[in-house]
Amino acid sequence: MYRSRVATLGVAALVLAACGGNGAEAPQKKTELTLYNDKGAWTKYFDEMGALSKQSIGLGMKPTGYTDSAQYQAFIKASFRTDVKPDLFTWQTGGMLEEIVKQKQVAETTAIWQEAIKAGDLSQDLAPYYTIGGKQYCVPMNVAYWGMFYNKKIFDQYDLKPPQTWDDLVKTAETLKQNGVKAFYHTSVLFSFVWFEQLMAGTDPDLYDRLSTGKAKYTDPGVVQVMERWKQLIDAGYFINPGDKTDPGDVLKTGKAAMVSFGTWFNTSMTTRSMKAGTHYDFFVIPNVNAALPKTSMIFESGPLCSLTKAADPDASMKYLKWWTGSEAQDKWAKSRGDVSANPKVTIDDKVLGTVTKDAGSGKYRLVNRYFEATPPPILTAALDGFSKFVTEPGSYKEVLETIQKAADEYWSTHQ
Amino acid sequence: MSRAAPILGRFRYGYVAPAALLVAVLLYAPFVWTAYLSLTRYDGLEPPVWVGLANFAKLFDDAALITSTRNTLIWVIGTMVLPVGLGLLVAVLSYDIRGGAWYRVPFMLPYALSGAGLAMVWSPILSHDGIANLLLGVDTAFLQEEPVNTFAMLAVWTWQQLGVNTLLFVVGLQSIPKEPIEAARLDGASGWRLFRHVIWPLMRPLTAVVVGLALVSSLKTFDIVWVLTQGGPGRNSETLAVTMYKETFVASDYGYGSAVAVMLTVVTGLASYLYLRRQVTAT
Repeated sequence: MYRSRVATLGVAALVLAACGGNGAEAPQKKTELTLYNDKGAWTKYFDEMGALSKQSIGLGMKPTGYTDSAQYQAFIKASFRTDVKPDLFTWQTGGMLEEIVKQKQVAETTAIWQEAIKAGDLSQDLAPYYTIGGKQYCVPMNVAYWGMFYNKKIFDQYDLKPPQTWDDLVKTAETLKQNGVKAFYHTSVLFSFVWFEQLMAGTDPDLYDRLSTGKAKYTDPGVVQVMERWKQLIDAGYFINPGDKTDPGDVLKTGKAAMVSFGTWFNTSMTTRSMKAGTHYDFFVIPNVNAALPKTSMIFESGPLCSLTKAADPDASMKYLKWWTGSEAQDKWAKSRGDVSANPKVTIDDKVLGTVTKDAGSGKYRLVNRYFEATPPPILTAALDGFSKFVTEPGSYKEVLETIQKAADEYWSTHQ
Repeated sequence: MSRAAPILGRFRYGYVAPAALLVAVLLYAPFVWTAYLSLTRYDGLEPPVWVGLANFAKLFDDAALITSTRNTLIWVIGTMVLPVGLGLLVAVLSYDIRGGAWYRVPFMLPYALSGAGLAMVWSPILSHDGIANLLLGVDTAFLQEEPVNTFAMLAVWTWQQLGVNTLLFVVGLQSIPKEPIEAARLDGASGWRLFRHVIWPLMRPLTAVVVGLALVSSLKTFDIVWVLTQGGPGRNSETLAVTMYKETFVASDYGYGSAVAVMLTVVTGLASYLYLRRQVTAT
């Protein structure tokens, strides 16, 4: 009886030991990495990259895509405290990256950056977005420049040309309105910030930067004026209804709105809808509202691809990130999506996007960090709610700004 | 008396232990953890910082929470009137007629859909460019205007829940003994009088269950709102459950989100207790 009990306890102890582990195991050697991302719609492109990496460096990659950003972020944050860790994951630059770097969760990539810059695979201009405390973390999964996609057939029909000034843009919108065509797309869900950042950056980019760092208030006269201008455009009837749930790709294709402002990644939406650049649609950089500004402000975003300090196989993860920045990987990544690349060596088939990318790197534009990354998450949450209210009730702009400022006051009181 | 009884009695806690342990670990431990987090400032990354009752104090000063409490109240009252009230009506009208079960089939079918699936189906119907506006020949922002959006979602909820409430009430009607009804009919009762004075009191136990379930499910309304409006525009269609989710997972304010969760638990527990106590007293 006693023996059998001892044996049972022994077996139980072994099972527990096998389940628990002691945390000091040798790192696994992986041949396939997991890549968690919040771009569920891009699974096809990630799969193609996995097949190529398997061929090139003997490391496969299996993507797991989330479509809900909040769920995704909660999962990644929770994974830091468990043993279910992704080998690679996508994230955001700005406050979001700083937050997890401060927790010492993210693997440093300074060596990859130095080598890539020397080899011409990454641009020095991009480094500040990935630098925290003098060191680099993650590598660019993608970069995007924001501008206006427009339905070329509609423009041709009414003899319209890409505008050179803000007044031209408003005149274009007015012509379209006269012909019963809605000029612009906007929405009350998630991307409700697009016109705010565009109008702010084109009016007073310094004020925009100060807002992002808590050095200006949302209730400052400059911000109020921007909201008033935005309201004027809505009141003039240039926008489609923000409650329209048509996919923006379809909005542009069907001509429900003649212009849609998005990042260059929106090109993928066009190519998947069999629309041809230069024939069915085209792209222009949105002119500044304030013509006196020395450079045209252009919204810029870059999404990082990261690895964890406690990854299952840190060497394999680093090897993958290094490969990702190289020409071969970036050429495939850009071409499959029909988008621009973070690697300056990659040539882009789309003529207009190619020119924009080249000009952006030459210092022709003032690059302005996208509002989504530039704004600390708690303020961003309040702002997205606020702008979604504003686009449906434009008269509420003062109340909206006060609500956002309240969230900003709360945040900056503990984060300055 | 069997000899097995005292032995079973001695080990009875052993039999219950696995289930009790599972319930404790999976249900009560997270609740205790949430209650603890509600007293902290916690972003999901850095260790929680004890702030006492600060999150609960903030509840009373939060305009968004006032809106979501109002919306939750609309959901509770609306659920009682529409899915429950109409369910009873359909059950009574279709109960005693030939082929009544077939009349109930169309009401039952939507129940097969999940809340999220339901919202996906109705999203293109209720959106501004949707079929509802087209068919009704109106230009209403069903999902944007406040409180029209809450009523619109309540209508969708009714579409789904009506069937199951009807079914439960039919079961209740079937469980009523025939004798008292026949006796009442012999006494000359029929129609509304028969229902009001005989059928309705006999159905009381079942009604308590239907209303109790509807009360709890309306207090925790989440999926349908989240998929259709995400609580917006602004925060004007949020319910308490949506506010809890947004504060916790979208704003990463786990402390405040937990405080909303605790408040919702207390409100649900209290409402259920008061309602059930009243039912017990009445019977």
